[in-house]
Amino acid sequence: MFEQILMALINGILLGGVLALLAFGLNLIFGVVKIIHMAYGQFVMLGFYFIYTFHTSWHIPLLLAMALGIAAMGLIGILTQLLVINPLLNAPRLNQLLALASLIIVVENLAQVIWGADYRGIPLSMPIIQFGEIFIRSSFLIAFIGAIVTLWFLYLFLNRTYLGLGIRAVAQDLEMAKGMGINPKVIYYITLMTGGALSGLVAAFFVPIYTVHPHFGASFTLMAFVIVVFGGMGNLMGGFISAFIIGIVTSVTAVLSSKEVADIVALLMFIGMMMVRPEGLLGTES
Amino acid sequence: MQAINKYGFYGQIILLVVLVMLPFIITSSYLNHIMTLILLWSFVATAWAYMARFGMVSLGHGIFLGIGAYFPTMMFNYWSFTPWIGIWVGVAIAVATAAVLGYACFRFGLLGDYFALVTLAVAEVSALTIMAFRETTGGSLGYTLRATGKISDMQFSDKRVYYFIALILLIGAVYIWRRIDRSPIRLALTAIEESEIAAASLGVSVIRYKMMITLLSAGLTALGGALYAQYVTYVSPDTIAGVGVSLSVCFKAILGGMFTVLGPFVGSTIIVALEEYVRISMGASFLGLSQIIFGISLLIMIIFLPKGIMGSMSLAISRKLNRID
Amino acid sequence: MLNVHDINVFYDEFQALESVTVKIEKGQTVIVVGPNGAGKSTLLRTIAGLQKPRRGSIEFEGHRIDRMEAHQIVEGGISLVPEGGRVFPHLTVMDNLKVGSYNKGARPIAKQRLPQIFQLFPVLADRRNQRAGSLSGGERQMLAIARSLMAQPRLIMLDEPSLGLAPLVVNMVFEFIKSMKQEGYTVLLVEQNANKALKVADYAYLIESGKMVFEGKSEDFDKNPYIKTAYLGL
Repeated sequence: MFEQILMALINGILLGGVLALLAFGLNLIFGVVKIIHMAYGQFVMLGFYFIYTFHTSWHIPLLLAMALGIAAMGLIGILTQLLVINPLLNAPRLNQLLALASLIIVVENLAQVIWGADYRGIPLSMPIIQFGEIFIRSSFLIAFIGAIVTLWFLYLFLNRTYLGLGIRAVAQDLEMAKGMGINPKVIYYITLMTGGALSGLVAAFFVPIYTVHPHFGASFTLMAFVIVVFGGMGNLMGGFISAFIIGIVTSVTAVLSSKEVADIVALLMFIGMMMVRPEGLLGTES
Repeated sequence: MQAINKYGFYGQIILLVVLVMLPFIITSSYLNHIMTLILLWSFVATAWAYMARFGMVSLGHGIFLGIGAYFPTMMFNYWSFTPWIGIWVGVAIAVATAAVLGYACFRFGLLGDYFALVTLAVAEVSALTIMAFRETTGGSLGYTLRATGKISDMQFSDKRVYYFIALILLIGAVYIWRRIDRSPIRLALTAIEESEIAAASLGVSVIRYKMMITLLSAGLTALGGALYAQYVTYVSPDTIAGVGVSLSVCFKAILGGMFTVLGPFVGSTIIVALEEYVRISMGASFLGLSQIIFGISLLIMIIFLPKGIMGSMSLAISRKLNRID
Repeated sequence: MLNVHDINVFYDEFQALESVTVKIEKGQTVIVVGPNGAGKSTLLRTIAGLQKPRRGSIEFEGHRIDRMEAHQIVEGGISLVPEGGRVFPHLTVMDNLKVGSYNKGARPIAKQRLPQIFQLFPVLADRRNQRAGSLSGGERQMLAIARSLMAQPRLIMLDEPSLGLAPLVVNMVFEFIKSMKQEGYTVLLVEQNANKALKVADYAYLIESGKMVFEGKSEDFDKNPYIKTAYLGL
């Protein structure tokens, strides 16, 4: 039992890294465009299907297929900004929320029509690493390392480039940013493109771990929400930390009881946080 | 405004007469089935809009539908407890749940999209709970009501009975809507929507009014869920609990217009009919396609007609009438 | 250089400016004085492109700018120092300055510009790695001005730079505005502190409830009995 919990803990940390990446994308979009991307997990699902199709049907080598999948999701992000978010930039927050929620219906059913309801995956045999009584799947480890490296690059991008600076400026004070010569429309497109590409990257990390089906994204949308709210909406550091907390909690709870109970626990943590401290773990008021 | 009210009144009388006659004119049991579904969902969507039109947009009504649907069904299957009473047990549990949730939300001052997100999480919890207790609830595979065909078990040989039950409920829901309109609650809650502080300074007990509307909405929604389960004799987390159905209820109301009394009815009619039409004409394999069309039309609606069909229509009509005056 | 001609500006139904006309020649320091809520900030926001006029035109160096987006206007050479030293509080002092040089024209020379700025504002050099939110009110105002200078503007607009500052710091700010003029910047300054502002001005306007009610040189303002009692406290 002890080994099992320890392994769940390790898996929770490893998966937490990927969830942190997912939360980062959602957080970035919320922080900059001030929109809650309700269909973010569904984007991961779509990215997964893209990679699957590129590799299985078009016989593109896997790594190239992943790169193409990431690019395609970046494009989908741009299209989302163009077709859905731009027309609603000045609409009430709730209309934005509902519009992105209706995107869930579109994306999930699109997947259903194109790829059917069956589970699809790319069979890969990845070695399992053993430390004494502890077994770690290398696919988890690769995903974790990949996610951390990506987050590091994103950190550099935000802190070392003019574009990153523009993104942070728009996130803090849109009007002032305009007054500094920043074109917010460009920043929005870049943010949604980055967010889209990140969902594609998460999908690539998931390829050796999961199989995909049209409702695959729903639980990740919720998980990303839970993490983002828990850490403080728009707070990138908070999201990073809470990704690991939620990753560990759900992973350990799942071992102790069941996957559903684990999700319920995460959601209850989310609901509790929203009520008691809506600004999140690390958030500041206002 | 007067003129609209007059036209509106006659229009509603005619609509009511048509709705009462319809099952006798149309004999196809399939069409009657669709009409019953339309009325049931209209009832639920109207109850949902009680809250939404005052700024409490719940994306979690699936939990009330689920409670209303699952409790009487399970009580009947396991203990042969008659649904005639079981339904009210379900409604009571739903109202109690709403009381706890609502009080927590309003006490902590959750507004707008924060409220929407919390209720969305609640909806997901409801579906996950059904899955977690899969031994008793049937999990994601769903759960079938034991058939007896006895009126004492709320099972009727003539399916049209449910049509009329649903119609009576819808009329009731519309009546309550009108009562709310004439009561001080409406003024108070409209004030709330404009500004909580302004309402508080008027001496309005904000939480109390919000709670009243919430309990009413949750109770009626559970009643709708209960009747849906008795009518269809099958429940599953996809069809009657969780996020999907919560969103679908709110989309029905929004499409029709959640600020107008007949908006949810119009929206439900269009959506149920559209779904059925595409399903029949394109076959079950293209069910997804109808949903895609549905999703895109919702998007277009939210972008171009944010007040919904009925809302935009009555706005257009009142503009026209004003011009004539 | 700048020609604001007969503009009307609305916030929804509320009219903030009514047929306002302002002219600035190259190298001048022009001030707009007036009470709180008279529309001074709106005027600057409209020139900066953050608000659109419903009527009238704004020309800068011969080009219409009133239909341009804010970021294009910055690139065109106009820079706004917003009210209350509005900086990006979560960015470091350094990053705030860097945002100032975001526009394409300013980016290549940002590296050379920075030492000059730090020479002008030594306190900012000391605090370059601090978050701007941790600065004092006066330092923030300095940072806001420095940030605008990073944008390589030809016209710099200051929105009540003395608001809420200690008297000593206010003097420093006005000294600085004077020195900007000597360096050849064209300055548009809006102020409630009419006394101090008039001392640095080449030309001045008085705005009340969205309308220009008086204009002239500083001496003309000093001579006007109404302005004397209402604004200069004499």
